[in-house]
Amino acid sequence: MKTWGMGLLLSLFVWSLAGCGSESSVSFSDSFEDAVSASEQTTVNFYLWGGDEGINRYLDDFVAPRLQERYGIELNRVPMDTAEFIRQLSLDKKADRKQGSIDLVWINGDNFRNAREAGLLRDELPKRVPNADLLNETAQQSDAGTPTDGLELAWGNVQFVLHYDAAKVAEPPSTFEELRRWTEDNPGRFTYPEVTDFTGNAFIRHLLVARYGTGLSDGTEIEDTFWDELTSWGPYLWKEGRTYPPTLEQLDQLYASGDIWMTMGFNERRAEAEVREGVFPKETKALVLDHSIASTHFLAIPYNAPNPDGALVVMNELLSPEAQRVKQSAEYWGDGTSLDLSKLNDREQAEFEALEAGTTYPDPDLLRERAVPDYGPAIIDAVREEWPRVVR
Amino acid sequence: MLSASVLLTIAVSLLSVVSLLFLAQGARGTDWMTLWMDETWRDSLGITLYVVLASTCMSLLIGTWLARTVSFRQWPFVSRVLRLPMFVPHIAAAYLFLILFSGQSGGGWFDANEPHYVTVILTYVWKEVPFVFLMMGVTYEQVNQGYRDMARTLQLSPVQQFRHAELPFLIKPLLDTFWILTAFISFAYEVPSLLGVTYPKLLGVLAYDRLSTGLYLESSEPYAVALVWTVFVTGGVVVSYMATHRLRRRIERGVRR
Repeated sequence: MKTWGMGLLLSLFVWSLAGCGSESSVSFSDSFEDAVSASEQTTVNFYLWGGDEGINRYLDDFVAPRLQERYGIELNRVPMDTAEFIRQLSLDKKADRKQGSIDLVWINGDNFRNAREAGLLRDELPKRVPNADLLNETAQQSDAGTPTDGLELAWGNVQFVLHYDAAKVAEPPSTFEELRRWTEDNPGRFTYPEVTDFTGNAFIRHLLVARYGTGLSDGTEIEDTFWDELTSWGPYLWKEGRTYPPTLEQLDQLYASGDIWMTMGFNERRAEAEVREGVFPKETKALVLDHSIASTHFLAIPYNAPNPDGALVVMNELLSPEAQRVKQSAEYWGDGTSLDLSKLNDREQAEFEALEAGTTYPDPDLLRERAVPDYGPAIIDAVREEWPRVVR
Repeated sequence: MLSASVLLTIAVSLLSVVSLLFLAQGARGTDWMTLWMDETWRDSLGITLYVVLASTCMSLLIGTWLARTVSFRQWPFVSRVLRLPMFVPHIAAAYLFLILFSGQSGGGWFDANEPHYVTVILTYVWKEVPFVFLMMGVTYEQVNQGYRDMARTLQLSPVQQFRHAELPFLIKPLLDTFWILTAFISFAYEVPSLLGVTYPKLLGVLAYDRLSTGLYLESSEPYAVALVWTVFVTGGVVVSYMATHRLRRRIERGVRR
């Protein structure tokens, strides 16, 4: 009996090494209507960053039931760090795995650049998804400087803001320079995530904009004096700058527990749901400093998606005016729409306009006025590479 | 029965060889000089060696001392209590120490997330002492009491009694345990990730970081580091096995007598 079990174990092992068969890749149906009927009673595996409760609830409580009801599609949300599933896809590509396990991904910035260079995504999405016609063309055009080329569709538009606890911060700073002075007056009450984190990296890019403006091109080297200055923030940060929270989630936890008095992130509306649920302090307010990087995030379909038709249907649903409106409302996520509102009918436009403003929202005019475009992926890389000297 | 154990041995060693092959495959194209000159990896190696040696040696000392005391004094209750931390998962232990030593509840001695990795070492010691206790406890149960009695009759000093009547029997399990703990602690993730600092990171945390961030997506370095470390640990096991081979044989015959 034991020998038999061992034999089974060995053969399983050899089988797993040999790879799991030679499946061929699945292509799109010819039309969207065909895709709808082909994807009935199937599952769509949606891989995305899962660190925000509001986003997760939006997908689980609002989107998933709608998909089930309208198209008989089961949405399987798989929370994972973006770079990690991009890595998984590039390993699939190297191993020539024609049928993977990921149908739909949420992606932008340097991860998109990497996926694009490695040929991991399917193209011609705007032609295949009917609701792509409603998209804001500027947002759809490029992803942090990288042309989208139909490899991804804009899902949302957000801007970077800080949030602070007004009960503790009486006079909030209004520029990044004032923020630095504020940290000196309030030692230990401010920090930012490590730059391997999307948000932490963006915070440093805001300081770069404050110094160099938006003209810092990919080839330019960041001066040593910039890093020296950043190092001088250290002693006044949380834990005296000896360590930094590895992720935005951990920064948010520190803010929620009152250890630090400010947090930050892309999406000017993101604090609303957290305040309503009592996670963030009641007096949380938005803080717009000198400028705020505007960022678009996207949806894409991997080259080896096992259910590409299902992914198209889900994408179309996610870009529908109703799903976009609920996404923007404070109820779940508060994520800005990627649609061009002038392309919607009067009723839909009115519904968007009727969305109420939350207490943690910044002044929309001020935010629009201070918006700046993001640097390209090369600067993100440069920040990642050079920042460690600040903590050494 | 024999064939089952042979098959199991083959399966286990095959897996180890395959893991090395996979690592070697992933490490292809690494510029070893650049890797060695990379300050981030070097600092990580330094801090990892320090954390591994400190946690392992302290666990071995405390665990062995406890096993010895419990075995000589016959404290069954203590022996049961000592095993408890083994049932706490490492991640839970890390959280426990994070809560104990962070923020206002820190007690003021030292802080979680500080560059000397004191809380990481403490967590490992708390978690691994019971393991050492288990390994050494079995040894102490098997050691022939006659040797100690003889040493005492010969009026050797307590230190010499230990050296001649106990230490030779402890070397094998101590070395085994040492390498198990070294292999485990050096590339573990959850404890140093939760209690460690941004810089320097332990090898396991840094390797994962490099594997999962965009900039290093194509990088072979984490594999190369894992390969070097695996070879180092395997080499250490082989060398320590060879160095104590004769002693082991003698003891096996002696104990069986």
